[in-house]
Amino acid sequence: MKKLLITAPIVAVLALLPYLGMADYYLSYLYIIFFWVVLATSWGILSGYTGYWSFGHAAFFGIGVYTTATLATQLSWPFVATIPAAALLAAAIAVLIGLVVFRSGTLRGEFFALLTLSVTFVVAAIVSNTSLDSGTGVFLSGIEIPMIGVTASGSLYMFGLIAVLASLATSYFIFHSKFGQGLLAIHDDEDVAEVKGVPTFRYKLISFAVSSALAGGMGAIHAVYVGYVTVGETFAVTVPLYVVLMSILGGARHWAGPAIGAVIITVLQSAIVSGAHAEFGRAGVALALIVVILVLPSGIVPSLIRSFAGRRGGIGAPETAAQAGTQLAPLAAAGSDPVLLKCENVTKSFGGIRALTGVTLDVWRGEILALVGPNGSGKSTLINMISGHYAMTSGTITLEGEEISGRSPHLIAQQGVARTYQIPRLFDNLTVLENVQLCAKFGSADGMGAAAVDAVTREALAFTGLAGKAGVLPAALNLHDRKFVEFARALAAKPRLLLLDEVLCGLNPAEVDHAVEMIKRIKAGGTTIIFVEHLMRAVVALADRVAVLDQGKVLALGHPSETMRDPAVVSVYFGGQ
Amino acid sequence: MTLALFLQSAVGGVLLGGMYGLLAMGLSLSWGLLKLVNLSHFALAFLGAYLTYQFGTVYGVPAYLSVLVIVPLFFALGVALHSVFVRFQVKEFASLLVTFGVTILIESLIQWIWSADFLRYETPYAQTTIRLGPIFVPVLDLSAFVCAGVLAGAAWYALNKTMLGKALRAAAHDAPVASAFGINSARVSYILAGLCSATAGIAGVFIALIGTLAPSQIEAWIGVVFAVAIIGGLGSPIGALGAGMLIGVAESLTMSVVNPAWAPLVAFSVLIVILLRKPVI
Amino acid sequence: MLLEVDKIEVGYGDAIALWDLSIGVKPGEIVSVVGPNGAGKSTLVNAIAGILRPHKGKIVIEGNDVSKVPSHRVCDYGIAVVPEGRRLFTMMTVLDNLLLGAYRSVARTERDATLAEVFQLFPILKERQDSLAGSLSGGQQQMVAIGRGLMAKPRVLLMDEPSLGLSPLIVGEMFKIIQMINERGVAVLLVEQNVNKALEIAHQAYVIEQGRVTASGAPEVLINDPSIREAYLGI
Repeated sequence: MKKLLITAPIVAVLALLPYLGMADYYLSYLYIIFFWVVLATSWGILSGYTGYWSFGHAAFFGIGVYTTATLATQLSWPFVATIPAAALLAAAIAVLIGLVVFRSGTLRGEFFALLTLSVTFVVAAIVSNTSLDSGTGVFLSGIEIPMIGVTASGSLYMFGLIAVLASLATSYFIFHSKFGQGLLAIHDDEDVAEVKGVPTFRYKLISFAVSSALAGGMGAIHAVYVGYVTVGETFAVTVPLYVVLMSILGGARHWAGPAIGAVIITVLQSAIVSGAHAEFGRAGVALALIVVILVLPSGIVPSLIRSFAGRRGGIGAPETAAQAGTQLAPLAAAGSDPVLLKCENVTKSFGGIRALTGVTLDVWRGEILALVGPNGSGKSTLINMISGHYAMTSGTITLEGEEISGRSPHLIAQQGVARTYQIPRLFDNLTVLENVQLCAKFGSADGMGAAAVDAVTREALAFTGLAGKAGVLPAALNLHDRKFVEFARALAAKPRLLLLDEVLCGLNPAEVDHAVEMIKRIKAGGTTIIFVEHLMRAVVALADRVAVLDQGKVLALGHPSETMRDPAVVSVYFGGQ
Repeated sequence: MTLALFLQSAVGGVLLGGMYGLLAMGLSLSWGLLKLVNLSHFALAFLGAYLTYQFGTVYGVPAYLSVLVIVPLFFALGVALHSVFVRFQVKEFASLLVTFGVTILIESLIQWIWSADFLRYETPYAQTTIRLGPIFVPVLDLSAFVCAGVLAGAAWYALNKTMLGKALRAAAHDAPVASAFGINSARVSYILAGLCSATAGIAGVFIALIGTLAPSQIEAWIGVVFAVAIIGGLGSPIGALGAGMLIGVAESLTMSVVNPAWAPLVAFSVLIVILLRKPVI
Repeated sequence: MLLEVDKIEVGYGDAIALWDLSIGVKPGEIVSVVGPNGAGKSTLVNAIAGILRPHKGKIVIEGNDVSKVPSHRVCDYGIAVVPEGRRLFTMMTVLDNLLLGAYRSVARTERDATLAEVFQLFPILKERQDSLAGSLSGGQQQMVAIGRGLMAKPRVLLMDEPSLGLSPLIVGEMFKIIQMINERGVAVLLVEQNVNKALEIAHQAYVIEQGRVTASGAPEVLINDPSIREAYLGI
C-alpha cells in the first residue's frame, strides 16, 4: 500500500506533463528513456531472472516494429490495434523457439546467447527479403495515432509511458510472485529447482514469451516514433549490447535493476556524446560492459540493497527445536498399504554401461531403509531414478500404487518425494529462509496458501535448528549448516518419501551424531526414508533394513545385523580370498 | 539451371566455405579447447582486413608482406586478451560478454579511423580468374581456400601429431590429471590463444583482398561462422573447414537456385536441425 | 623413507576429508591403504599426486617437501598416479595416452625404452595402440592407466582402486601385475576397497576411517583386526 502511495503521484505527474505544456523536445527525451527502460526491463524478465542471457532481444523488438509497419501501411490497421498484434506475434515466435531450445533441460548459457543472436540475423534476413521491407525500409510518417497527449510527440510520449508502466508493473509482480521465485531458482540451479517441484520448462517458456511480448509492443510504438524503419537500424547490435549492459549495471536479478541501469546509461550518453560521433557512444558502452563484467558482475542495485537492507538475522522467536515437527507431517494422509514405494525390475544403462540390472525392491511405509554397497554398485543411480533425474531404461517405480517412473522430476516432487544432495546444492542467491520457502511452495501438487507456507517454513527451520540463520546466504554457511538447509528444504515439501544421498559425508563425529538424531526425529514424524550411506556404524544405528547393492543388482536385503554378516555381503566388501 | 551454372555455383560455394572455415577455425579451437567463446574473433579479422587495406593503399605494401606484420601482431593481441581472461578468472559465459564488448570496441575503433563508408582494396589480381573447363575460379578466392586448407591441415597436424598439441587436448579433456603428468595447461593455453588470433588476422587479409569492407559487415559473419564452428565440432580444425564448405555450397546453391537474399537462413536452418537431433552441446 | 605423508589435513572448501594423517612408503615396498568408501582414500591419492594441496602438514618425497609445489611440477619428483576410474584421455589413442604419461622431461628421454617395457607387460596394448582409449574394455582401460603411470618413470606409483568395476577374474590378474611392477623396483601406494587382495600383496598396510588412520602395521596381523570389520560392516 505504501508503495502505491509513492508511485501514484509520480505516475500522475508524468502523465500530466504533455498537458502542462512541456516542450516536445523534452517529451521526446523522456520517451527515449522510457524506451530503454522497457527494453531493459523486458530483457530482465527472461534473462535476468532465469539466467538464460539472450542476445536476440532485437529480434523481438524488430518483429514488433515490422508488425506495426506492415499492418499499418499495407493492411491499414489502426495503430492501436497493431500494438497487441505485435506483442502477440513476438511472443508466439519466442514460444516456438523456446519449444526447440528449452526442451533439452539445461542448455548452456553461451550457446543460448549465440543462438538468440543468430535469430536476430535470420529475422532480419527474412524481413529484408520479403515484402515486409524489401530492403528499402518502410515509411510510417503518415500513420495516424490517437492524440492522447495533445501533440503527436506528446501522444507518443504517453504511449511510451503506458509501455513503461506496463513493463515495470509486470516485472515487479513477477518478481514478487511464486512464478518469479521459480525463475530465480532456475537461475541458481535449474536441476535442483526441477527436483524441488518447479515446472522449469513451462516457466522458461512463459518468461520468454512475456519478455518478447513487451519488446514487441515497444517495437510497435517505436516504429511510429521514428517514422521510417529500416532493417539495418532495427536489428542492429545496438539493442542487445545496450540492454545487456544496462541490466548488468543496474543488477539483472532485481525487478528495478535494468530500469535503473537504463536511466543511468541513457542520461550519461546524451550528456557526454554528441550526435556526430555515435561510435564513441557505442564504444563507451562496450568498454563499460567489459569493465563491469570483469569487476562488478552482480551489478549496482543488489550491492546497494544488500548494504542497506542488512540481510542477516533470524525470523523472530524460534520454536523449540526439540519439538517434533507437527507442521511437517507428510501431506498425504497415511494410507493402509504397508508398501510405500515399489521398484520393479528397474534397469538403467548409460550408453553401453549397465548401472542397474533388474532391481526389485519394496520400501515399507515409515521405515528407514539403507542402501549400501561398494563404489559403483548403483546406489546413487537408484536414488536418481526414484527422484526422476534419470529416465528409466526399463522397469517401473510406483509410489503408493501410482507410477512415478517416466514422469518429470517436478511432478514426482509434487507427489511427495524429496531428496538431498551429497554435496549440498543450495540456491546461492537466496537466503536460507528463501531456500526453504521455495520448497514449501513448490513441493506439493495443490500448492499451499501463503500462511501455510510460512508456517511450514518456520517449522522446518526450527526443526533443523536454523531459525537463527534464516537471513543468511549459503556462501556464509559451513558444510554442516548447508547440509541442514538441505534437510530443511526437503522437509518443507512435506514428503512421504525422503531420499538422503550420503548426507553424513564430510561431517566430523559430533556433527554426525547431530545428523543421526535429526534423521531419527524425521522418521518419528511419519516420513519414510531411503538413505545411501557408507558410514556403517550410522547405518547399523539407524536403519530398519539394509539393501546391499553390488554391480547394479540387489545382493541382500534385511535387518542390518543379519545382512552384514551374510557371507556374500562380506566377500563383496573384503574381496575373494 | 545449366550444368555449368550449377558447377560454378558449387565451386563458388566451396571457395566461400574456405573463408568460413578460416574464420571458424579460431573460434572452434578457442571454444573447444580453451572453453572460451571469443566473439571478438570477427572484429579482429576485420581489423586485420582494414590494416591490410591501409598498408596496401596508403603505404603500398602488398598483402603478402602485410601478413608478415599482421600475424605476429595478432598473436600478441591474442595472448594479451587471454591474459586478461586469466587475470580476472573469466569463465565461458563471461568470456562471451567480454568479447562481445571487445567486438564493439574494435568496430568503433574501425569506424573512427576509417569511417563507416564502404572501402575496397583494389589489387591488380583482384579480377584474375583461372579457367577450368566451363568454370571460372577467381584466384584470390582460391588462394583463400588453399590457405584455409593449409592452416586446417597444420592445425590438425599440430594437435594430433605433436606432443604439445596432444598435451593441449589432454588438458582440455581433464586438466587435473593432465597436470599430474606435468602438463602446464596455463602455458599451452596462451600459445593457443595467440594462434587463434593469428588465424583471425590471416582471415582478415583475405577479407580485404576479396570483399568490400565496412564496419557493419562484421556482424554479418557472426551467425554463419558460429553455426559452422558448432556443426564442424568444437575443437576440430578439419571439421570447421568441412562444415564451412558444406554451408558455403548450400548457401551458394540457394543463392542461384532460389533467391540470393535467402542465403543467411541456410546456416541457421542447418544449425536448428542439428539442435533438434542432438539437443545439448 | 621414500614417501612420507606427515600429518596432513586436506579438504574441499570447508569439508575436511583428511585429518592429521601420516603414512610412509619405503623404497621397493607395496603399501596398501584400505578403508570404507568416503573414508578419504582418493583424497589421499589426489593430495600426494598434487591434484589437491594440503591445508596443513607436509608431503615429502626423497627428502623434498612437495606440499607447496605447483600441481604440474609434482610428477618431477617421481610420483605418478593411476586415478580412480582410470580417467584416461578417452578421445585419444592408447598410444597417445601412454606417450603423454612420459610428458615430463626426465621421462621423455627414456620414452621409447619405457614404452617397450609397457608393451611387454601389457601385450594387448601394443596390439590396440591405435584404438581410441575410450573404446577398450574396463580391464584394458585399467592397463592403459597403469601403463600411462609407468611411462612417467615414477619412484612411487599411486594406484587408486584399480580393481573398481572389474570382473573377479581380471581382478586377480591386476594384483599379479601390481606385484610384477613392484618387483621391477617401483614402490606402490595402493588404495583399495578390496581388503583381502590388497593386504595379500602388501608389505605394510594402513586402515583409514573418516579421514583418519585407525590401524596400521603388518598385513597379516591387520587382517584379523576387528576394527576393519567394524569399519566396513558396522558390526
